[in-house]
Amino acid sequence: MSLLQLKNISKIYGELKALDDISLEVENGEWLAIMGPSGSGKSTLMNIIGCMDKPSLGEVILDGRDIAKESDKGLTEIRRDKIGLIFQQFHLVNYLTAVENVMVAQYYHSMPDEKEALEALERVGLKDRAKHLPSQLSGGEQQRVCIARALINHPEIVLADEPTGNLDEANENIVIDIFKQLHKEGTTLIVVTHDPEVGEVAQRMIVLDHGRIKENTINKNFGNT
Amino acid sequence: MIKGAFTRQWKKMIMIALTVALGTSLATAMLNVMMDVSDKVNQELKTYGANITVVPKSASVMDSLYEIENGADDGAYLKESELGNIKTIFWAFNIVDFAPFIDTKATVSADSGEKEITLVGTWFDHHLELPTGETLNTGVRSLRTWWDISEGDWLSEQTYTGTEKPCMVGEGIAKTLSVKSGDIITVSTTHGSERLYVAGIFSSGDTADDEIYASLDTVQALSDKDGLLSSIEVSALTTPDNELAIKAAKDPGSLTIAQYETWYCTAYVSSICYQIQEVITDSVASPVRQVADSEGAILEKTHLLMVLITILSLVGSALGITNLVTASVMERSSEIGLLKAIGAKNGAVSALVLTEVMITGIVGAVIGYFAGFGFAQIIGQTVFGSSIEMKLFVIPIVAVLVIAVVLAGSLPAIRMLLRLRPAEVLHGR
Amino acid sequence: MTKQKMFLRMITASLIRRRSRMIVALLAISVGAAILSGLVTIYYDVPRQMGAQFRNYGANMILVSSGDGKDFDVTAMNEAVSHISPESFLGATPYRYETVRIHDQPVVTAGTDIKSAGITSPYWHIEGAWPAEGEALVGKTEAEHLGLKTGSSFTMSYADESNEKEPVERDMVVSGILETGGSEEDYIYIEMSDLESIAGSGDLDVAELSISASQEELTAAADSITSADNGVSARLVKRVTQSESTVLTKLQALVFIVTAVVLVLTMICVATTMTAVVTERRKEIGLRKSLGASDRSIIVEFMGEGLLLGCIGGLAGALLGFVFAEFVSVNVFSSSIRFQPLLLPVTMIVSVAVTGLACLMPVRSAIDIDPALVLKGE
Repeated sequence: MSLLQLKNISKIYGELKALDDISLEVENGEWLAIMGPSGSGKSTLMNIIGCMDKPSLGEVILDGRDIAKESDKGLTEIRRDKIGLIFQQFHLVNYLTAVENVMVAQYYHSMPDEKEALEALERVGLKDRAKHLPSQLSGGEQQRVCIARALINHPEIVLADEPTGNLDEANENIVIDIFKQLHKEGTTLIVVTHDPEVGEVAQRMIVLDHGRIKENTINKNFGNT
Repeated sequence: MIKGAFTRQWKKMIMIALTVALGTSLATAMLNVMMDVSDKVNQELKTYGANITVVPKSASVMDSLYEIENGADDGAYLKESELGNIKTIFWAFNIVDFAPFIDTKATVSADSGEKEITLVGTWFDHHLELPTGETLNTGVRSLRTWWDISEGDWLSEQTYTGTEKPCMVGEGIAKTLSVKSGDIITVSTTHGSERLYVAGIFSSGDTADDEIYASLDTVQALSDKDGLLSSIEVSALTTPDNELAIKAAKDPGSLTIAQYETWYCTAYVSSICYQIQEVITDSVASPVRQVADSEGAILEKTHLLMVLITILSLVGSALGITNLVTASVMERSSEIGLLKAIGAKNGAVSALVLTEVMITGIVGAVIGYFAGFGFAQIIGQTVFGSSIEMKLFVIPIVAVLVIAVVLAGSLPAIRMLLRLRPAEVLHGR
Repeated sequence: MTKQKMFLRMITASLIRRRSRMIVALLAISVGAAILSGLVTIYYDVPRQMGAQFRNYGANMILVSSGDGKDFDVTAMNEAVSHISPESFLGATPYRYETVRIHDQPVVTAGTDIKSAGITSPYWHIEGAWPAEGEALVGKTEAEHLGLKTGSSFTMSYADESNEKEPVERDMVVSGILETGGSEEDYIYIEMSDLESIAGSGDLDVAELSISASQEELTAAADSITSADNGVSARLVKRVTQSESTVLTKLQALVFIVTAVVLVLTMICVATTMTAVVTERRKEIGLRKSLGASDRSIIVEFMGEGLLLGCIGGLAGALLGFVFAEFVSVNVFSSSIRFQPLLLPVTMIVSVAVTGLACLMPVRSAIDIDPALVLKGE
C-alpha cells in the first residue's frame, strides 16, 4: 500500500475550487515534485499533505489514517510524528540558536537531545554554525537549519515548500544535493516548487493547473545527473 | 496612502488610539482633580466652623472669660444693619457662611427649677436678601456642624410657625433642668422676660453645652440692644498664608503698592479680614488661628500629595503610550522594508509612519480627554458630592504631553526601521 | 536534556535575546507595579500622616474633674494619660486658672506646662518667645488692655478668696504676646510652678490632650479614663474630633478613588503593551504549531514567559513604588512612610495575574489561527 493516498479530493473556498477532484499516490521513498503556476492550487495541496488543512471532499490516507476525519488535535499529532516541513521563508525562531531551533522540533515531538540535534546540523554541513542566531546566518545556512529541523524526528514525509525560492544558485545546489542524499537514504520527499531546475531533479513530477493535475511524468533521466 | 494604511491596519491603529486615549484620560482626570482639590478640601474644612471672628474695636472681653463680671457694658457693639456688607467685599464669593452673635446673662426657669445661663442670640438659617439682588441662607446651622442634636431638630427660622419664640438648649442645661424638646421655658433678664419654645437639645462638647441659643431679635429685645451685635463669625475659603501674607498681616502699610495689590487680590485670611474691617464700622476681624493655620497646613499637604500622585500617573501614562507606540511601529518592519524596496526615501517613510501615528494619537487624545473629564467627575461626585471644575489650561498641557510622548515613542522605532536593509526584511530575517 | 530544561532554555533565550522588546514589556510591568505598590502604600499611610496634620487643630480630648471630691492634679492627669496608647499620644497640658491682680485689675492667669502647651496648641502665634520660669505669655487682648509689651515687667498679686491673708506678690517679665484669634488672647499663661508660688497648690481646671487616633479609639480611651474613677472624667472636643473624621474620611476616599482610577488605567496600559508584544509573535506561534506543538504547550510556554516577566517586573516595580511612596512621604509630610510588607507579594501576584491575562488573550486568539495562513506570510 502506498504511504500517501489522495482519493478524489477537492478544496472549495466559496465559489472558488482551489483543488478539483485530485487523486494521487505517493510511494514510500519516492521523490515527488509538485509544480504549477501561482494559483494552480499548489499551496492548498501542500497544506493538505502537510496536515495543516483538510479537504472539502475526498479522502487523504497517510500511513493508513484518513486525515480528513481527524480533529485539529489529531492533525497536530500526525504532523508532529510523520511530517517534516521546510519553508520558503525558513521560519526559524529568531531568538534561538541554530541548534536550539532544531531542538524545538524534538521538544514538541519527544525529548530534546542536543547531541542528536548537533548531528543533524552536521549532516547539512552546519556543525560549526550551531551556536549562531538566525540573524548571523546566510539565507542558505538558514534553509539548511530548517532542513535539519525537518529531519530531526525521522518523519515519514519531508514536505518542502519552495525550498529554494529565497536562495541564490550556489545555495540552491547545496539544498538539491542534500535532497539527493536524503533520497538515497530512503526518505520520502515532496517538493512544491515553480522552479523547473528543482522540479526536474525529482523522480516524478506532477504539474497542477486550475486545481487539476495537468501532467504526471516520470523522470527518465533520474539518477543520471 | 495614509488612508490605505488606516483601513488595512485598523486593528493596530485602534490599539494605539486606545492606549493614547487611556493615557490621556488618566492625565486629564488627574490634572483636573489636582487643580480643583484645594477648593474641594477647603469646602470640606468648613466643617471646622468659622475661621474669622469680627469683634468691636474696643470690645469688653471680660464676659467671654470665666464669667467674671456680668456684662460690663462699655458700649462697644457692631451694627446689625452692616452685616450684608460682608457679602460685598472683593472676596465676597469666598465667604461661605457667617453668623452674628449677641449674648447676655439670663435666668432660665423651667418646671423643675431655675438656673443662671448665657443666652446667645444668633441666626440659625437666616434668609438674607442682599442689595445686589443675591439671596443666601446663612447661620450657625452651617457653622456648628459638630453639634449633635440629641432631641428635636435644628431650629429653622424660615419654617417655624409656633406662637412662642423658638430656641435651642445646650445639653448641660437640659440635664440639670430636665428640659425636653417641645417644652416651654421662661428666660428673664434685667430688661424683661420671654417664653421660649425648645426646638431642640444639642450637645457640642464645649462651653456651649451650658448656653441657650435663640434668634437674634429675641435676645436683642431681652438685652435692650436692638440692632446691635457683639461679634460675627465668618467662614471663608482662604489661600494658605505665605511670606507676603504674614508680612501684610502685621502691617498692610509696610507693603509696596504692587505687593499690596497682590495681597489684596489674593484670598489670604489676612486680606479677607482686612476687607471685612473696611465694610464693618469700628470692627476688628482676626483669623481664628486654630482653624486658619490648620486649614493652611492640610490644604498644602493635600495639594502636594495630589501633585506627586499626578506626576506619577503622568509618568505612568507616558511610558504606557511610548511603549505601545514603539512596539507597534517595530511590528511593521516588513511593510516598511517593502516601502523602501520599492524606492521610498527615508524621509518619506518616516513622514508616513509619523503622520499615521500622530493622526491616531490625536483621535485617541480627543477621546481620552473627554473620558478623563468623565473620570474627574466620577471622583468629584463620589468623594465630594460636587462636580470638578473644567480647567481649560489642562487642554494645552495634555496636548503637549501627548504629542511629546507619541513622538518620543515613535522616534527610536523609526530610527531602527530606517537602519533596516529592505532585502533582509523581505527575506524574513 | 529534559523537557523542563528545554522549556527554561527557550524562555530565557526569549527574554535575553529579544532584549529590546523585553525591556519594553518589563518597563510597562514595573511602572504598573510601582504605581500599584506606591499608591497603595500611600493610601494606607494617609490617615496616619494626615491625622498628624490634623493635630494642628489642637487638643481633641479634655480632662475635667469628675466632681466627686478626689484631687484632680498633675498626678491624676498623668494617671489618666496612662490609659492612652503611647504610640498615638502626643501631649497633655494641664491648666489651672486663677484670678490675679495686675495694676489692680483682675486678670485670669493660667498656670500650665508651657512646653506641652506648644504641642497641644500648635496654632498659637507668639510674638516674642515662649516663657521660662518667672516669665509670662500674655494674650494679645489682655496685653493691649494692660499696656504690656514683650520685655515689660509687671507685678501680679494673688489674694485668697476670703481676703484674710495678705496678698502674695511676684514680679514677672513678659516673654511674648500670644495671638490666636480665640479666647486664649484674654489670658496670661505662666509656668505651673510660678502660679503655685503665689497661689499655693490646687486642683487643675482642665487638661488638654492631643491624641493621634480615630474617633472610635478616642471614644474608647475617654470611656476607659472616665470609668477608672480617679476623679477625672474625659470628654472629646467634638468640634475637633467630629470634623476631623469627616474631613479625613473624605481625604482617604479621595486617595482611594484616585488610586483605583490610576490603577485600572495603568493595568489596562500594561495589558495593551503585553498584548502588542505577544501579538507580534503570531508567526512564531504558527511555526510552533506547524512543528507539532499542541495548543496547550504553546499556551504554557507563552504564559511561562509572561509570568516570569510579571515576577521580575512586579518585584522591581514594587521596590520602585516603595521608593516613590517614601519620596512622597518625606516631601509632603516630612516623615518616613510605614511600609506594608504584605504589599510586596500582593504587588507581585497582581503583576503576574495582569501580565498572564494580557498574554493569554492574544495567545489564545493566535493558536486558533491556521498555521498555514501565518506561515505563508501576511
